[in-house]
Amino acid sequence: MRHSFQALPGHTGRARPVVDLVVEGLDLAPQACLLDTGASDVRMAEHVAELAGTDLTDATEHKIVVGGLQTTGRAATVQLELRQGKDSHTWAPTVYFCDPWPWAFGLLGLAGLDPFLVSIDTYEEWAELHPRNR
Amino acid sequence: MLETSPKTVTIAKRRFELRADRVERTLRQALPEPITSHYVVIGHRRYPPKQAISLVTGLDRADFTTHQARRILTGLGFPAGRRPGQPAAKTHERSPAPKSRSTRRRPSAETLEPFIGQWVATRDAEVLVAAPEPRTVVGWLAEHRQRADSMFRVPSDELQASGAAPW
Repeated sequence: MRHSFQALPGHTGRARPVVDLVVEGLDLAPQACLLDTGASDVRMAEHVAELAGTDLTDATEHKIVVGGLQTTGRAATVQLELRQGKDSHTWAPTVYFCDPWPWAFGLLGLAGLDPFLVSIDTYEEWAELHPRNR
Repeated sequence: MLETSPKTVTIAKRRFELRADRVERTLRQALPEPITSHYVVIGHRRYPPKQAISLVTGLDRADFTTHQARRILTGLGFPAGRRPGQPAAKTHERSPAPKSRSTRRRPSAETLEPFIGQWVATRDAEVLVAAPEPRTVVGWLAEHRQRADSMFRVPSDELQASGAAPW
């Protein structure tokens, strides 16, 4: 299944490659994450953990610089699910839940892309993620 | 063009004096409920006509019809429309299997324009709900038993969109 880029209004430049991830079974609101091959890890806003019922009390804290802004990320291993038509792929990477998080999307960095072969067509504005184990 | 002068209407044998600006003010406090068919656009958001009239008048929704509510609101100058029908909704269902190269639709830039800076939950090409807080969006989805395809904040500039901070 192809994931079409998300077009954005106003002065936000061109459409972005995003995929929607169900975090810890929160399937009524999959979280849009930017496919970010320039990021090493998976990062999301801290409120996502709260909404998904993930306890970060004992999570290790990390000072992280994202795009030039320092933020605090708390690491947790959580279940992510990518739904693609009738198929879905579930894996459990470490996700850094960050506060502050002023950005529009989560970041699906390299560690989150490990289970997939990724194709991105920036001209046609779609991305495909093929699970390796199929 | 919104009517600025009050308009007297009769609903369920009761008379009401409605003004567009007051309708807008009242609805500002309420998140729109899911659109099943007809909607009116009030303050850049799409509301079911019956929800809008019920909130403005305090009447029970059983006291009037959708068409009556829609007619009253369009008479005040609010644009009205009808949600595209079943085909779009069908594409959200996970069975039967879609084609392997199928592409999920997403809202256009124009559709997202009124929601800049807000958190949105979207399904296919539509915005289901928008609110300043993500918790409100998820709460609305749970309350109305809706499932979104995607949730994100509509960025106001390039930096928010790309994950880069200002220099």
